[in-house]
Amino acid sequence: MSSLLRGEEMCLAQLFLQSGSAYDCISELGELGLVEFRDLNPSVTAFQRKHVNEIKKCEEMERILGYLLREVKKADISLPERDVNPVAPLPKHVMAIMEQLQRLEVELGEVTRNKEKLQRNLLELTEYTHMLRITRKFVQRTAEREPLQVQYEEFPFLEKETMMDYSSMQRLGAKLGFISGLIQRVKIEAFERMLWRVCKGYTILSYAEVEEYLENPDTGEPTKCVVFLISYWGDQIGQKVKKICDCYHCHVYPYPSSNEERNDVVEGLRTRIQDLHTVLNRTEDYLRQVLIKASESVYTWVIQVKKMKAIYYILNLCSFDVTNKCLIAEVWCPVNDIPTLRRALEEGSRKSGATVPSFVNRIPTSDTPPTLIKTNKFTSGFQNIVDAYGVGSYREVNPAPFTIITFPFLFAVMFGDLGHGVIMAVFAAWMVLCENNRKLKNTRNEIWNTFFEGRYIILMMGLFSIYTGLIYNDCFSKSLNIFGSGWSVKAMGWTKEQWENNRFLTLDPNVTGVFKGPYPLGIDPIWNLASNRLTFLNSYKMKMSVILGIIHMSFGVILSTYNYLHFRKKYNLYLVFLPELLFLLCLFGYLVFMILYKWLAFSAKDSRHAPSILIHFINMFLMQGDGLQPLYPGQTGLQIFLVVIAVLSVPVLLLGKPVYLYWLHNGSHRLGLYRGYERVRRNSEEELYLMRAHDMEEGSSHSDLSSSGENPTEEFDFADELLHQAIHTIEYCLGCVSNTASYLRLWALSLAHAQLSEVLWAMVMRVGLRMDSTLGVLFLVPVFGLFAVLTVSILLVMEGLSAFLHALRLHWVEFQNKFYGGTGVKFCPFAFSLLPSSFEHDGLL
Amino acid sequence: GTETLTFNVDHGYLEGLVRGMKAGILTSTDYHNLAQCDTLEDMKLHLQSTDYGKLLSSSEEDLTVSLVDSKLRANLVTEFSCLRSNALPPLSTFLDYITYSYMIDNVVMLITGALKQRDVAELLPRCHPLGAFDQMAAVGIARTPTELYSAILVDTPLAPFFQDAVSESNLDEMEAEILRNKLYKAYIESFHSFCKNIGGVTADIMCPVLEFEADRRTFIITVNSFGTELSGADKSALYPSCGKLYPEGLRLLAKAEDHEQVKAVANCYPEYKLIFDDPEPGADFKTLEDRFFEQEVKLNMLAFLQQFHFGVFYSYVKLKEQESRNIVWIAECVTQRQKSKIHNYIPIFPGTH
Repeated sequence: MSSLLRGEEMCLAQLFLQSGSAYDCISELGELGLVEFRDLNPSVTAFQRKHVNEIKKCEEMERILGYLLREVKKADISLPERDVNPVAPLPKHVMAIMEQLQRLEVELGEVTRNKEKLQRNLLELTEYTHMLRITRKFVQRTAEREPLQVQYEEFPFLEKETMMDYSSMQRLGAKLGFISGLIQRVKIEAFERMLWRVCKGYTILSYAEVEEYLENPDTGEPTKCVVFLISYWGDQIGQKVKKICDCYHCHVYPYPSSNEERNDVVEGLRTRIQDLHTVLNRTEDYLRQVLIKASESVYTWVIQVKKMKAIYYILNLCSFDVTNKCLIAEVWCPVNDIPTLRRALEEGSRKSGATVPSFVNRIPTSDTPPTLIKTNKFTSGFQNIVDAYGVGSYREVNPAPFTIITFPFLFAVMFGDLGHGVIMAVFAAWMVLCENNRKLKNTRNEIWNTFFEGRYIILMMGLFSIYTGLIYNDCFSKSLNIFGSGWSVKAMGWTKEQWENNRFLTLDPNVTGVFKGPYPLGIDPIWNLASNRLTFLNSYKMKMSVILGIIHMSFGVILSTYNYLHFRKKYNLYLVFLPELLFLLCLFGYLVFMILYKWLAFSAKDSRHAPSILIHFINMFLMQGDGLQPLYPGQTGLQIFLVVIAVLSVPVLLLGKPVYLYWLHNGSHRLGLYRGYERVRRNSEEELYLMRAHDMEEGSSHSDLSSSGENPTEEFDFADELLHQAIHTIEYCLGCVSNTASYLRLWALSLAHAQLSEVLWAMVMRVGLRMDSTLGVLFLVPVFGLFAVLTVSILLVMEGLSAFLHALRLHWVEFQNKFYGGTGVKFCPFAFSLLPSSFEHDGLL
Repeated sequence: GTETLTFNVDHGYLEGLVRGMKAGILTSTDYHNLAQCDTLEDMKLHLQSTDYGKLLSSSEEDLTVSLVDSKLRANLVTEFSCLRSNALPPLSTFLDYITYSYMIDNVVMLITGALKQRDVAELLPRCHPLGAFDQMAAVGIARTPTELYSAILVDTPLAPFFQDAVSESNLDEMEAEILRNKLYKAYIESFHSFCKNIGGVTADIMCPVLEFEADRRTFIITVNSFGTELSGADKSALYPSCGKLYPEGLRLLAKAEDHEQVKAVANCYPEYKLIFDDPEPGADFKTLEDRFFEQEVKLNMLAFLQQFHFGVFYSYVKLKEQESRNIVWIAECVTQRQKSKIHNYIPIFPGTH
C-alpha cells in the first residue's frame, strides 16, 4: 500500500560483473526488467564504445532479417507470430545464427535473381512473339500493295513531293532498314513526334497496340504496350532512330527479313517459352520452400537479435575496472528487489559457468532517484492519468490511489444517467472479460487502443454513472418509480373544474397527505412531471457541486501534510498547511456549512422565510447584515471571527516560511554569539546529522532536504524564497475562489447531459411513440434506430469525452495543485518486454 | 493581405510538411559528431540517429562516397516528389521551376558527354534526378542548339528559355557552356518574374534569393571568362538581368579583365563586398564558390522566418542540397584521411542544437 501511495524506495547499486558472465547476467536482468542502467561513459561517442562491432553485427543481422521478412511477405506466406519468448542467444551461438542467415540470404538472393532473370527472359520472348505476330499484319498490308509499286516505294508522299530527292537517295545507295520493337503506350505519341522531328520524315512508323497487359520489368505493374515498326532510309538516320529508341526505353527486337524466317523464329520462340515456363515454375516452388523454411524460425531470430542488440547497448553503458577483469555497472533498483537482483546475477553466473561470482553493492548517492510506482492492470490506467500531468517527484504522495475513486465519481456527477451508465459499464465489462483476446490486444487501431487501455477506467465510470443516475433518478431522461413517489395528488382534492381550467397546478406539501416523506433513494420521480423541475434540480446540483468541490480541495490540502511530514519539513505544517486549510475552511467551508444548515433548518412549512445564502455570504465579507434576519443566533459574531482568521492566515502564509528559513540560515549565524542560541544550533546540527545518517541508511535523499540540511553552506536567497512564497500565496488565495467556481462545471455538465438526453427523447422517440395506429409500430423501428445511434454517438461518446476531459481538469488543476509537484523522472527499467514486439514497429518491414 | 488568409487552404499542409522536414536538417552538433568519424561506417552509425535513419544502412553493397551521394540525392528526390505530387497551382508551377535549373544542367552535361563520345547509358545515372525528363537520353543526337530545340526540347518545359539561345553554330564545349548560361539567364529571369507576379510574401522572400542567384552567376561567368576569347558583348548577353547588379554593375563587369576589376565592381555593392573581401589573417582560406554558398545558405535560412509563402520550398531544397554537399565533403575527407580540411563544410542553422 505504501508503495502505491509513495512509490517504491529506490537505491543506487553497483553491479560487479565478471567479464565472462556479464552477457548472461544482463540477459537475465533484461528478462526480469528490474533495474535502470546509468550511462557510465557519457563522454564516449556511440562509435567509440566497446561493443560497437557486436552492435554492427546485430544490425547486419537485422538487415538480413528485414530482407527475409520482406521476401516472405512478398511470397504471401503467413508469418507465425507466436507467443514464444526465446532468451538471448549465447555469444557462441550467435555465429551459427549469423552463418545461417547469411547462407539464407545468399541462397534467396541467387534464387530471386534467377527468377527475375527468367521472368525477364520470358517477357522478352513473349514481347518478341507479339511483335512478330503484329508486324506480320503491317507487312501483309504492304505486300498487298507491292505488285503495284516499286520496291522502294515505302514513302509514297516523298515520291510525290520531290522526285529529285528520292532519286538522288537511290543513287547514293541508301537502303531501306527496319527497326521494330515494343514501347509503352503512354510514350508512343511523344516518340512519334520526336521521330518525325529528328528524322524530318525520312521514316515511316506503323504501330498497333498489344491486346494483353504485359508486366513492366522495372515496376512489376501490368502496362499496355505498343508494337511499332519503323522503316527508315539510310544508315545515318538509322543511328538516330536507334538513339531515340534507346531514349524512350523501347525494347527492340530483330526484324526478320523474310516470311520463312519469321515462321521459323515464331516456332522456336514457342518452344522456348514453354521451356521457360516449366523452369520458372520449378524455381518458384523452390523459392517458396526456402521461404517457408525460413519463416518458421524468423520470428525467433528477430526476437533473439533484438535482445542481443539491447544487451550490447547496456554493456556499452558499463565501465571497466582497473584490472579489466570485471565490468562495473550502476543501476537504479527498488530496494525491495535487491534480493531478486542478487539471485538473477547468481543465475547468470551459473549459466555462463563463471568461477568468480558477480555481485551487487549498494552505494550512497546524493542524486534524486527515478520514481517507480508499481501498478497492475487495474491501477495502471489511473496512474497514467496522473503521470500525464507529471511524473511524481521521488517518494512524493501519489494521487493515483485516490483518483481511482474520485475520478470516476466526478465523471459520473457530470454523466449521471442510469441508462447511459449501464451501456458504458457493459461495454467496458466486455472489454475486461475479453482482455486476453489477442485480436483485441494487438490491434493497431490507435483509437481502439486508447479505449482498450482505459477499460477499467471506463468500467468504473460506467458503474459510478449508474449510481449517480439512480440518485438523479434519470434513465434516458426518464425517471424510475421504484419505491413509489412520496407525493400524492389525490390529497390536494382538486375538482374536475380545476383540472380542466388550469394548465398548471401546484402541489402544496403543507397540505396534509400530499407529501408523505422523502423518496428513499435520490430524487422523487414526481419531479419528472413538474414544470419547475429544472429550477429545483439546478439549485440542488449547484450546491452539491460546491460541496463536493470544497471537500475535494480540502482533501488535497490535507494530503500535502503527508509530503511535509515525509520530507521532514515540519515547519511547513504550521506555516503553510495550517493557514491554507484555515483560509479554505473559514471562507468556503463556512459556505458549505450554510448550505447544509439551510437544508436542515428550513422545512416546507417555513420555506417562505428561508434566506438567500448568497446575500448572507456577501454580507459576511462586507461585515454587515444588520438588516437581515440571522440564520442562527450569534451568526454575525462567528462570521466576523471567521473572516478575521482567514485574513490573518494570508500574511502567515506569505511571510511565515521565508522568515523562518531566513532565521534558520542567517539569523542563527548572527545570533550564534549568544550562548543559548549556540546550544540550540548544535542541537539542530546533531539532528541534521542524524537525519542524514538515516537517509544514507535508507539509500534515499531528498532534494528539498539537501538544500536545507545536507549542504548548510549552500547559499540561501531570501528574496528568491519570498518571491516563490508570494507567488504561491497569491495563487492559492485566488485559486480558492476560482477553483470553487470551477467545480460548478459539475453542475453545468450534468445539466447539459440531462437536457441533451431529454431533447433527444422529446424530438426523436416521442415522435415515434405518438403515432397510435398499427403503422406506428412499424414507424417506431427506424425511430428507435435513430434514437439508439444518436444516444451512443452524442450522449455516450461525445458527452462522455467531454465529461472525461472536465473530470481530468478537475483532478489536474483543482486537486493536484494543492499538493502534487510532479517533477520526477520515471523509472524506465531495462526490460526485454518493453522492446517492440510486432514486426511492423521496428522498421524491419 | 488576402493571400495570407487563404494560403493554408491550398498550401498549408505542404508548408507544414516542409517546415517539419526542415527540422530534420543536421545541426552543428551532428556535423561536429560526423567530423569526428574515422570511417564511413562510423558516419553511417551517426546518420542513423538523425532523420536520415536507415537510409545508408539498408544497402547491401559496401559504402562508398558516390553511394552516399546518390542515396542522399535519392532521398531529396523522394521528399521533393512527395511535395510536388501534393502541390496545387501555383505552388506546383513554383516547384516545377525549381527542377528546371537541374534540367538545364542535365542537358548541358549530356551534350558535353556526347561531344566526348561517352555512352548515354553511362551518362544518365550521373544526371541529377530532380531534373530528369523523358527526352533526356536523346539530347546527344543534336548537333546545333537549333536542332536541340526544335527536335528534342521543344516539348519540354525548357522550350521557352530557348528564345535567345537558338543558334546554328556547332555545339562544342564552349558553345555548350554558353548555351547553359543563356538558358540559365532566361530561366532565372522567368522565375524571377513568376515570383514577382505571385507577389506578397513569396515575392518578398524569393526575389532577393533569385537576385542573389543571378548576380552570383554573373560574377562566376566573369571570373571564368578570364583568358577566353569571350568579348564583353558576348558576356553581357549571358548575364541575367534580374539581379541587383543590373544595369550598371553588369556593364562594368562585362568590361572587367581581371580579378581586381571584379572586386572593384563588387565593392560598390555592400552585400557582395563581403564576399570579395580579402580573408582576415588567421581565418581559413575559402574559395569564392564557398563564400557564395555561405551567403546563399544565409539567404535561404531567412525564408523560414516568415509564413505563408513558397520561398520555404525553394530554400528547403537548396539547404538540403548544401547539406548533401557537406556530408559528401566530410565523407570524402574521411575516406581520403584529410582530417585537416574536414571542417570546410558550410554549416546550416549553426545556432540551433
